[in-house]
Amino acid sequence: MLSIRSLDVAYGGLRALSDVSLEVARGQFVAVVGANGAGKTTLFKTISGTVSPVSGAITYNGRDLLAVPAAERAQLGIAHVPEGRQVFASMTVMENLEMGAYTKAGRGRWAQSLPMILELFPVLAERREQLAGTLSGGEQQMLAIGRGLASAPELLMLDEPSMGLAPAVVDLIFERIHQVHREQGLTILLVEQRAAEALESCDRGYVLETGRVVLEGPHDKLMADPRVRQAYLGM
Amino acid sequence: MTDWQWFFIDILQAFAAGVLVGGTYGLMCVGLGIIFGVMRVVNFAHGDFMMLGMYAAYYLVTGFGVLAFLGPYAAPIAGALLAGPIVFAIGWLMHRFLIANVTGARVISAEAEGHYAQIILTLGIALVLANGGLILFGSLPVSVQTPLSRESWEIGEVLLNKARTVGFVLAVALALLLYMFLTRTSLGKALRAAADNPIAAAYVGVDVDRAHRLAFGLGVGITAVAGGLIASSQSFQPYIGFDFVIVMYAGVVLGGMGSILGAFWGGLTIGLVQQMSTLVLPYQLQNTAIFVVFLLIIFFRPQGMFGRVWERT
Amino acid sequence: MMQGARSTLKKHYAAIAAFAVVYLLIALLVTNSYYQLIMTLVLVWATMGLSWNILSGYSGLISFGHAAFFGLGGYTMTIAFVKWGVTPWLGIPLGMIVGVLAAIIIGIPTFRLRGHYFALSMLAYPLALLYVFEWLGYQEETLPMMREAPARYMQFGDQRVYTALALVMLIAAMVISLHVERSRFGRSLLAIKQNQPAAEAAGVNVLKCKMLAIMLSAAVAAAAGGLYAVVLLVVTPPTMFGVLTSAQALIFTLFGGVGVYWGPVIGAGILVPLAETLHAELGHIVPGIQGVVYGAAIIAIVLLAPDGIYWRIHDYLAARRAPESAHAPARAVASTTAAAEPQDRRPAGAPLLELDDVVRTFGGLRAVDGVSLKIKEGEIHGIIGPNGAGKTTLFNVINGFLPADAGSIRFAGSELLGLKPHEVCARGIGRTFQVVRAFPRMSVLENVTIGAYLGASSDAEAMALAYAALERVGLAGARANAIAGALTTNELRRMELARALAPRPRLILLDETLAGLGHEELEGILDVIRQVNREGVTVAIIEHTMHAMVKLADHFSVLDHGKLIASGPPGEVIKNPAVIEAYLGKKWMDRAQHPVS
Repeated sequence: MLSIRSLDVAYGGLRALSDVSLEVARGQFVAVVGANGAGKTTLFKTISGTVSPVSGAITYNGRDLLAVPAAERAQLGIAHVPEGRQVFASMTVMENLEMGAYTKAGRGRWAQSLPMILELFPVLAERREQLAGTLSGGEQQMLAIGRGLASAPELLMLDEPSMGLAPAVVDLIFERIHQVHREQGLTILLVEQRAAEALESCDRGYVLETGRVVLEGPHDKLMADPRVRQAYLGM
Repeated sequence: MTDWQWFFIDILQAFAAGVLVGGTYGLMCVGLGIIFGVMRVVNFAHGDFMMLGMYAAYYLVTGFGVLAFLGPYAAPIAGALLAGPIVFAIGWLMHRFLIANVTGARVISAEAEGHYAQIILTLGIALVLANGGLILFGSLPVSVQTPLSRESWEIGEVLLNKARTVGFVLAVALALLLYMFLTRTSLGKALRAAADNPIAAAYVGVDVDRAHRLAFGLGVGITAVAGGLIASSQSFQPYIGFDFVIVMYAGVVLGGMGSILGAFWGGLTIGLVQQMSTLVLPYQLQNTAIFVVFLLIIFFRPQGMFGRVWERT
Repeated sequence: MMQGARSTLKKHYAAIAAFAVVYLLIALLVTNSYYQLIMTLVLVWATMGLSWNILSGYSGLISFGHAAFFGLGGYTMTIAFVKWGVTPWLGIPLGMIVGVLAAIIIGIPTFRLRGHYFALSMLAYPLALLYVFEWLGYQEETLPMMREAPARYMQFGDQRVYTALALVMLIAAMVISLHVERSRFGRSLLAIKQNQPAAEAAGVNVLKCKMLAIMLSAAVAAAAGGLYAVVLLVVTPPTMFGVLTSAQALIFTLFGGVGVYWGPVIGAGILVPLAETLHAELGHIVPGIQGVVYGAAIIAIVLLAPDGIYWRIHDYLAARRAPESAHAPARAVASTTAAAEPQDRRPAGAPLLELDDVVRTFGGLRAVDGVSLKIKEGEIHGIIGPNGAGKTTLFNVINGFLPADAGSIRFAGSELLGLKPHEVCARGIGRTFQVVRAFPRMSVLENVTIGAYLGASSDAEAMALAYAALERVGLAGARANAIAGALTTNELRRMELARALAPRPRLILLDETLAGLGHEELEGILDVIRQVNREGVTVAIIEHTMHAMVKLADHFSVLDHGKLIASGPPGEVIKNPAVIEAYLGKKWMDRAQHPVS
């Protein structure tokens, strides 16, 4: 569904990604892990169109994604749950979710999406009229994911959902992500710093280190592979 | 009637005048609030867009008499309302061709440079508009003629100028309409989202550039209508924009950045301060009182009455 | 180096003198009295522009309120003349004093504001003064004609004398600006403009610099206002305090060139004659043509050449000159030993920096949650942890950018908390930033010299220190004169390092200095850091590039969620289960302990 080939990205004067290739097949859960500075967020920004690559190709459902302007990529069914949540702080929880459904697909399926999201994250139902800026970190993350789901996407991209959250909340969120994948067969691309949580649920994983893919493989192969630890801790 | 009673009535009169004037100031500030308070664009020329609205109303009603067929009572109101779309269009074009170059995603990386370029560009626009106005409209003060400005309703000993009262009612109505637009419609919410967090808005599929342009046009259009309403109560000339710039910013900052509702209350309060200050200060210093209030707010409570407590890093 | 500086100064003086002579000659030749007036006005406005430049052009704090000083200068002279018969020769200096006082009163509160709040506040002051003066009854003041002894009251029949007077005033302002530009003070202002936090961390006393700038600026503006009033003979509040007056100050400077003393001269020289001539020719058909011209000029400049004409030409010429020869790679550091082995270290000494239960919260979040650690003198101390662990916040607290909510930080025995960044720097702590904070328009040497001012008693000594620091990082020689904006990441990091090292600190805080570097570049910088450490500088370094850190550091402190979770030699720490869990996650540890076969 999503195919990235030999991507080279320079960002802020640094070479952020070098010759990165990865594949996400329909219905798969793919995780990209790596320490900070490995280039994971840059990867997402390139897919979303905030950043342009120096060279390389990205195809989505057979289409050249790089030829599509950034503002239109959301309409193609790609939902991007950004790093740091990026909720609309001055708008209510409901309004945030409504904004998620801004795409055509989202609007069409709103009647089904909303109850699904509220069931997945009941706390959002409780706080529907509260301003998003006053929610806790974990609640904001759930809201951001809910907003992503509201667009009725084909591909859900999650950028470091665990960042800045307490371990218990992280567990909960990953559980829900896994649930959504299981129940709806949603294709998921997840980028994470915390390898175990991410690799636990994935079908396929990639390990990035200073902008390169150093390890890839199916779930079983990667779990407890000592080279994953090496990529993080240097020894 | 004793001296005290007269004094009390004076206070009431000033208060009433303050509220009436404050209503239109409130609407004016709401327009700026959309632009400065929400989008964080410093628009130095905002007063001059108001001036354009005033002249639009003037020419529609009195100058060219296009709306004369509506009669002397309805025409000024129609003129004020029509000033809105006219100035909206001008603002939209100006944003598209000039202002967009110094705002938005292009400048997020350029830190403070972005703010300065905005201020200076809009200063240039203000000068061109004000002086262009001088060339086109002449320097003789004019006002929109309406019999309402000479008539008053009486409540006890307090006089409510009819033109100002009508202006107040319309201002409140429009502010409410705008509020509903921004909170109930999909487009309104998209505008708010684009101003709140352009990055996230782009991710959910909002055309952020277009949203900013619309918001800008809406902001100047609303203020132009407020100007059109004031135009029947006082005379104006092309340089009036500069007089109002501080008044408007004082209102928005007092109300709190990021809050449209706050901007309205801020404008209302400023109107009150202005009118009530005439009780103790000489007439020429009424605007000085506003400046002092403005400076006090900036120094001691920059987030205003309803300001957003959280700030995006 | 010193020779070069003096001879450049001579060149500047020569240029100014040449300009003065040419201008005077032109003035003498002009006979039409209206054009003579324009000649004078150009100079007055150029001076006003220079005054604006001193505050806003150099420091970047855009002021819309210079009319306040201009007007106060003009009115002081006028009122002194009209009421008490004080001659303008005394009245103008008096106005300058009033201007400086106003600057102090305005500066102290207003400098606490940033960005658009500052600009808007500055706008309010002259407008308030305008209303006050109108209310006081000074709608229109005319200077009395002194028929006996006119020269004693600065009244001359020949307009050209005024031109000469204005020229003297302008030359004085230009010379002042020139010296400001070349002084430590001026460089500090530029540093503040280009990157205030970096300037603070490098030891610049920001508030003092800004106050000095506004006082100097006000004095010049007041002088211009005084002379303006003398020339026009009629003074009204709108002319002296109006928005257009403040606007003109900044328009001429922005148009001609910001931050350089020729800028306002160029701007006024082009725009004033243009606007005045148009006004004279067409003013009766199109009143307000001046304002349109100024407005259009500023719009054009902002969109096309945001720094002004001078810089546009300057950059164009600089680009056409022989381009920099292929980047000579930053020289390898002359080190006495080859890349040191991790074990080959001097034993670390007494604790130099001690953190005791430091707490810093943001809203409800404890970014730094009771962190206690000791950094020993002479060691390389690595601070690691996953993203969001609070590492940079910790550095910001140590540095003085953020206050701590609780705890204490002692450096060589004395408490650091409560000190401002430049005071922390003065105690002997240097800092680099996660995102390189360079002063992009300055050369490498100038960038580093900013850091050296603290440790030096003279500009020459500062430059020598800077040069020495550049040698330590391998950027001496040709690269020292390159403009910072054109450097590679590797060179930028070395420059940052040099700037932190220039005042010869005891401790440097390096925030992700290694990020984004390729393998060889990494080795190069590691060598530099090791060498610097061998020479006696204690290093605390935040990093994510673990491979490099493991080879570099003597000691690791690991942070997660604001807490210190492990501390010890690298080899031990990375095997620590808590650390592995922090990076890789709890489930990793579970699985490692209970492998699924």
